[in-house]
Amino acid sequence: MDAPTTIPAVKINRFLPYWAVLQSDMRQTLRSWIYRLWVLMTLAAAVGYLLFRFGARQVAGMVQSAPEMLGDLLTWVIWGSVTLIIVLTAGTISGERGIIADSVLSRGISRYQYFLGKWHARLFVILSTFFVMATVSLGGAYVLLHSEHLTILGSLVAVALVASLLVLVVTAGVSISALSTSTMVSITLVWLLLYGTGFLMSLLPAHYPSPDRALHNLPNVLKGLFDLEMVSRLISGALSVSLLVALAGMIGFARRDV
Amino acid sequence: MAENSSDLVVESYKLTKIYQNRQIALNDVTLRLEPGCVLGLLGHNGAGKTTLLRLCLGLHRPTAGWVKIFGQTMGPNAAGLRRRIGYIPTNPQFPRGMTPITYLDYIARLFGLPAEVRKPRLASLIRAVNLLSVSGDPIDGFSNGMTARLAVACSLINEPDLLIWDEPTHGLDPEGRRSMLDLIKTLARQKTLIVSSHNLSDIDEVCNHAAVLSRGHLIYFGSLQDLKGRMRKNQYELDLDGDQKAITRTLNIVKGMNDFKSVSLRQRRLELRLNDDVNIASALANVFMTIADNKVTLISVRSMGQATEQAFLDLVEKEESRGFARAYQVNDAA
Repeated sequence: MDAPTTIPAVKINRFLPYWAVLQSDMRQTLRSWIYRLWVLMTLAAAVGYLLFRFGARQVAGMVQSAPEMLGDLLTWVIWGSVTLIIVLTAGTISGERGIIADSVLSRGISRYQYFLGKWHARLFVILSTFFVMATVSLGGAYVLLHSEHLTILGSLVAVALVASLLVLVVTAGVSISALSTSTMVSITLVWLLLYGTGFLMSLLPAHYPSPDRALHNLPNVLKGLFDLEMVSRLISGALSVSLLVALAGMIGFARRDV
Repeated sequence: MAENSSDLVVESYKLTKIYQNRQIALNDVTLRLEPGCVLGLLGHNGAGKTTLLRLCLGLHRPTAGWVKIFGQTMGPNAAGLRRRIGYIPTNPQFPRGMTPITYLDYIARLFGLPAEVRKPRLASLIRAVNLLSVSGDPIDGFSNGMTARLAVACSLINEPDLLIWDEPTHGLDPEGRRSMLDLIKTLARQKTLIVSSHNLSDIDEVCNHAAVLSRGHLIYFGSLQDLKGRMRKNQYELDLDGDQKAITRTLNIVKGMNDFKSVSLRQRRLELRLNDDVNIASALANVFMTIADNKVTLISVRSMGQATEQAFLDLVEKEESRGFARAYQVNDAA
């Protein structure tokens, strides 16, 4: 006689909802026109600037050292990208509030997992893209330009510095998006918050780290001339503030109606 | 009756939702839903039906009171409870660029279902809702009927114990509506359902319990039979055929009877309104005798209005007519 067959209970993978949101949002971000616009504009600006400087050096003999040029480039990339990154991140959750969020948040996922999935997806896409673009720019500068002053350590620190500021921008965008009811309100709030805070910090005495001063100092960092303590304070400060902002966004989102 | 509250599928107590201190969407709703119930949620637009459903799903937080699902308090982070619920929102919408296969896979992953469980299940569901031929097409171009079928598949992917369907027949053609009602009847044998609908005949057909909301207040909660029992029973329409003079003679005789408040003839339709305290069977028997005596043919007899619809309208009308008295009798919903 056959033994009675028992149907095993389905084993739920509790991290799967987080992965699902993360993967879905990464695909969605990569397909969005704002992301493509950001990549195209940044790459066009970087390649154009590199070629212009290369041409000026070849034809007219005008030499700008690679650290100066890369410092300018990274600063412009940051200032130019911030607005697009704000637009890209400030609609992360508020843009889906209502009908589409209903069809996700009514399933077996907690608000924390949803927020973390969205936040990490945007961070991953934007930072990965930035690292690729920074590598291309640094590589181009090494190959095409007068690069004897450029140091590997300085380049890595400069990229880490800019990346930490981008983490803050992305985190502020996603967190305010989680607390706001409309994308336009989110964009306005994030823009005011970031530019306002950046401006206020630039008014502080010189020994305080500020994004503005850090970006102005990038050429020196690329040359390897940097105050490690100051740089560490800035990077750890940006990451700590990002964590706090994300925590506030996540807790606030978990208490809101959607 | 479930004695223990942990045996209940849904239990709410003084559930109240006020949006930003501006709009009272739900007011003091207390109800208990036992396993196997098929609850029809009735109410006009803005009565609070969707708010109640969203509170049951943890998409909204109550301003006061609580709602428990399977004996545990529902909240925004109660993912474990939502794993036992299948939900269809009103006008379900889907992310762009996804196909039924990728979307169902996404929803199944949101429930934490591992690949060896979700893949066969989503394939079966796609076949069951008849989307096999378009399973690789983008959802963007789907018709209302196909969208509704996909929403049904999504709500069943986790094999839920409780189904919450918000206007599932909305926008469907008669064939789609019939299929949906048949599906609800089939599911009702095994699961607990909450179905919100404007279409009272749908509720009448598939539900065994009803909850009626009026301006956020629960004015009735109980069995559908009881609700129908509250309907006006004193209006009837009789379709007649035969000689016009004989029909007129019948009309005059019936008008002379004391059992009726009003008697009127429109074309060949006799409309009768009985007095409140009259014996309906004997009054109607007298009318039938008169019709037969005058050699008039009786084609059909029906009570006025659809049963559930009439009961619903009566309830809302009664609630409205109570005026300020509502402030003193807030616990008589059932």
